[in-house]
Amino acid sequence: MKATKKKAVAVLSTLALVTGLLAGCGSDEGQAAEGGVQNVSIAIAQVGDVPSKGNEIQQKIEAYTNTKLDIQWIPASAYNDKINVMIASSDMPKIVKVQYNPTVTSAMRNDVFWEVGPLLKDYKNLSAQNERFFDNIKVEGKIYGVPVFSDIARATVIYRKDWFEKLNLKVPTTPDEWYETIKTLATSDPDGDGQDNTFGLMLFKKYNEDQYSFTTRLGVSFGAPNKWKVEEDGSFTPEFMTPEYMQVLDLLKRLYDEKLLNQDFAVFDSTEAEKKYDSGVVGIRVGVAQNGKSQQERLSKNNPDGVVDIAGLLGPNGDRVAGQTGNSGILAFPKSTVKSEEELKNLLSFLDKLMDPEMATLLMRGMEDKHYTKVGEDQVEMSDFDAFQREVKPYRDNLPYVEGYNVPKLKDTELGEKGTALAKELAEHAVPNPALTLYSPTYGDRGADLDQVIADAQTKYIMGKIDQSGWEKEIENWGNAGGNKIREEYAEDYKKQAQ
Amino acid sequence: MQQDKTWGNRIFDFVNHGLLLLIGIVTVIPFIYILAVSFTSPHEVAKGGFILFPKEFSLAAYRYIFSTDTLIRSLGVSVYITVIGTFINLLFTSLMAYPLSRRYLRGRQPILLGVLFTMLFSGGMIPTYFVVKSLHLTDTLWSLMLPTAISAFNLIVLKNFFQAIPDELEDAAKIDGCNDVSVLFRIVLPLSMPAMATFSLFYAVAHWNSFFSAVIYINDSEKWPVQVWLREIVILAQSRIGDTSIEETEIQPLTIRMAVIVFSTIPIMLVYPFLQKHFAKGVMLGSVKG
Amino acid sequence: MKAETAARTRPATRSDKNLLWRDIIKNRWLYIMLIPGMLYFVIFKYIPMYGITMAFQDYTPYKGILGSDWVGFKHFQRFFGEPQFWTLFRNTFLLAIYNIVFFFPLPIVLALMMNEVRRERFKRFVQTLVYVPHFVSWVVVVGVFYMLFTTEGGAINELLYNLTGQKVAFLLEPGWFRTMIVGQSIWKEVGWGTIIFLAALSGVDTQLYEAARIDGANRWRQTWHITLPAIRSTIVILLILRLGNFLDTGFEQIFLMLTPTNRDVGEVFDTYVYTKGLTQAQYSYSAAVGLFKSVVGLALVLGANTMAKKFGEEGVY
Repeated sequence: MKATKKKAVAVLSTLALVTGLLAGCGSDEGQAAEGGVQNVSIAIAQVGDVPSKGNEIQQKIEAYTNTKLDIQWIPASAYNDKINVMIASSDMPKIVKVQYNPTVTSAMRNDVFWEVGPLLKDYKNLSAQNERFFDNIKVEGKIYGVPVFSDIARATVIYRKDWFEKLNLKVPTTPDEWYETIKTLATSDPDGDGQDNTFGLMLFKKYNEDQYSFTTRLGVSFGAPNKWKVEEDGSFTPEFMTPEYMQVLDLLKRLYDEKLLNQDFAVFDSTEAEKKYDSGVVGIRVGVAQNGKSQQERLSKNNPDGVVDIAGLLGPNGDRVAGQTGNSGILAFPKSTVKSEEELKNLLSFLDKLMDPEMATLLMRGMEDKHYTKVGEDQVEMSDFDAFQREVKPYRDNLPYVEGYNVPKLKDTELGEKGTALAKELAEHAVPNPALTLYSPTYGDRGADLDQVIADAQTKYIMGKIDQSGWEKEIENWGNAGGNKIREEYAEDYKKQAQ
Repeated sequence: MQQDKTWGNRIFDFVNHGLLLLIGIVTVIPFIYILAVSFTSPHEVAKGGFILFPKEFSLAAYRYIFSTDTLIRSLGVSVYITVIGTFINLLFTSLMAYPLSRRYLRGRQPILLGVLFTMLFSGGMIPTYFVVKSLHLTDTLWSLMLPTAISAFNLIVLKNFFQAIPDELEDAAKIDGCNDVSVLFRIVLPLSMPAMATFSLFYAVAHWNSFFSAVIYINDSEKWPVQVWLREIVILAQSRIGDTSIEETEIQPLTIRMAVIVFSTIPIMLVYPFLQKHFAKGVMLGSVKG
Repeated sequence: MKAETAARTRPATRSDKNLLWRDIIKNRWLYIMLIPGMLYFVIFKYIPMYGITMAFQDYTPYKGILGSDWVGFKHFQRFFGEPQFWTLFRNTFLLAIYNIVFFFPLPIVLALMMNEVRRERFKRFVQTLVYVPHFVSWVVVVGVFYMLFTTEGGAINELLYNLTGQKVAFLLEPGWFRTMIVGQSIWKEVGWGTIIFLAALSGVDTQLYEAARIDGANRWRQTWHITLPAIRSTIVILLILRLGNFLDTGFEQIFLMLTPTNRDVGEVFDTYVYTKGLTQAQYSYSAAVGLFKSVVGLALVLGANTMAKKFGEEGVY
């Protein structure tokens, strides 16, 4: 008995080692191989399902760009950790999709990735895009990758058109209009069920955080800056110290006090909020332009008579909307894997080719007859959207593309087309965040804490836990705890970059 | 054990049973909710409310999850690493726990201290990654089973369980000519079935839930265990409303998220009832007297 | 024994070394059995330990642990000097105490209750019900608690309102935070926690109960004299090991329950480290905090272990 057991242990351990060793061999990262076919390895974000190996979309891309793709999908659930491990072990493919966060920007500052800024002019598609996209990913004024383009601005008011018509309402643009509209929606029983169960607006947990912050978007439309304002003298003012932003807070406070706002918004989860919107008890929300269409679809399932419409969140003069980063990630080129500038140029040309008409159509519309059908000279209609989401979207969301560039128009529902057009229009009036690419060591150190303190203070103010003087005290604390230093550092870096 | 049928005892039993039942219900109700929602139509779910039994029964959520065979294949991976992994765990852990349970073993204390130390201090994810990589275990399923071969906590508690076994048994066996290895496998382990059942459950659940190591160590998506996929579905559902780094993502309906939860927990929950027979009382009965 | 003590006070001679060797050879199988486990610990636990030095460096991923600059105790000094430190410490400490006092005994009590049930079927049925929440993720747990306790239509608050005309903002009021956290933990983990005690209980010789009953002991005395002593050593070892994680409050649950209004009582080391470590990429700083927690845990474990041995219990080592 003992002999067999011992043997079993020995065998198992040897097996482990041997299998491990065998598995290690075999995978090879080749350079540009025979016949001029370029080996391109990419690590990108997984978006739902992983397309099967050797699928048609990938084959088409490989054929057109004359490459062999080796795609490594990274699940969103541990994305940043995986990227960190990859950077730490220098175990990266030739192109890696990273996010603009402190780890990555510090890696960029320290020469981990190739600088591509000066080279971009040689690539027709990449250089044809709005400069703003590239400005927003600069680190110390240099560009270290290709952005995965997304809308520059898309804050939209999505509202129940049928209710507005019934109650004779217009889309609000000033703080007073917002108040009146929300009050009417909440008190005049627009769904006609005799119950006091409608909300004009609902807030949820993270309503004032990150670039999607509701308060920022609304504030910008009223005239507040997008997170930071550069004053005439070059100093920096944070949004919450501006009177226009205060208008937002006061508006919300008034709504809260009069019980026109959900009283538990501070713990209200966004997914719960989603349920409410879909079930048709809320009159207005702020979202993404393209979401109008899907909101209508979801609403119709529960409430066939509900009508949704959208309007840009542009303020009383129709010309201010909060700008966003304009990317959902950056495709960067690690110096440890991409050994020469020539190889870099080949990779850039690969990405550039992806924006050529044939590829752009593939990425944004799919394959003819499989995913879409032609319905006009330059127009197509989606025939199998689910298949598109499954098979094409994973590629599209990680590679460069811009809706409307080099691609036939999409015939869509009225709301769908309106959303797409609106997103384009909003880009014209986008108010940028001047501090987006600036470097402040203090912000790196304790920025998140300070953001949290101010965000909390805003919530407390709205809920009436602190009053005006309490709020001002919080701002003072923020300043002393590092806020003032951040302002100085941004101003300094801004001056430096402007030279 | 039998108790005298006094009134006091009867009342106690009554109250005890009642309380236990109440506790059982309170703990399980939320899961019934999850189960119910997963089998309900999205339409009914959107109306909100706490559903305990679906009025509009629907398999839509499950059909959605199983529409590709990635989930099924990953299920196979999970089962594999759970079964083989747990086996490795039990082998390594009991082999090490037994000698450490013998008080007369020289060097026992420093070794135990060393084990304890690893419970409290760890080098972190990145150095461990380097070790796994240098052993060429990355991108293999072994990276999910070997770096977690022994849980220090389980080891120490098992050691204590082994220590509870009377020394006379060991002595008797040795007189009969057994060496230490056969004492472990022929006598100690059979008597420790409740403990072994407990730790197999702990290890099995840990394997079944593993997803982080899989993402870090394994690049080939075909080798991912089921939790990696399930988490993706749930995470996409938690993306902010109307704004994600992923364009126009459809928020997964609640039904699908619940189906995911059901699917990822039911298989492992079913392991316990099978192990319950090992918790039968009085296993050591007669062992000393014999 | 005496010979050994005498032997230790004089310089080691060949016979001492012989004694050592003799013991090793006598127990050679035991030492051989230790080899796979020791290999595991050395390879996968001790070799990566150099990572702890991160806490004394200004670590950056691309410089690596071997290449990053050494800064000594800078991070620790910063950590202890943070104005937030004492708030974090208080919050973490209180939650830890609450956990040990309120949470730790409950699985034991529940296990004892289940042990008293004679009908095997009922016992198994309850066991299966009670450990289900362990498998539900915190996200879902917090979601369920939200549905029950929110002031906007939550079941508990509706009930409260109907009975008393008042609503309580359980999820927002700082005063309720710790209760909610511990309550959730209890609900989620009490059933799972019984498993190990049930395993210990099944090792008890049933004949002892018979004998006691015949001697006239009622069930309380039986519990006190037979059942409890049987699981005493398990309780002790689990308590000692629990102290090793004393300052670990678990990150996910608390993070999900934090709101602007209760952050003052809710922010603990683990959530603080998350903000610093992940969102601000301050790996070294969060490593330092983690190291601090581990050292405290170590001190507690060693202390508890020594105390346990004084009481004649089998400790960790």
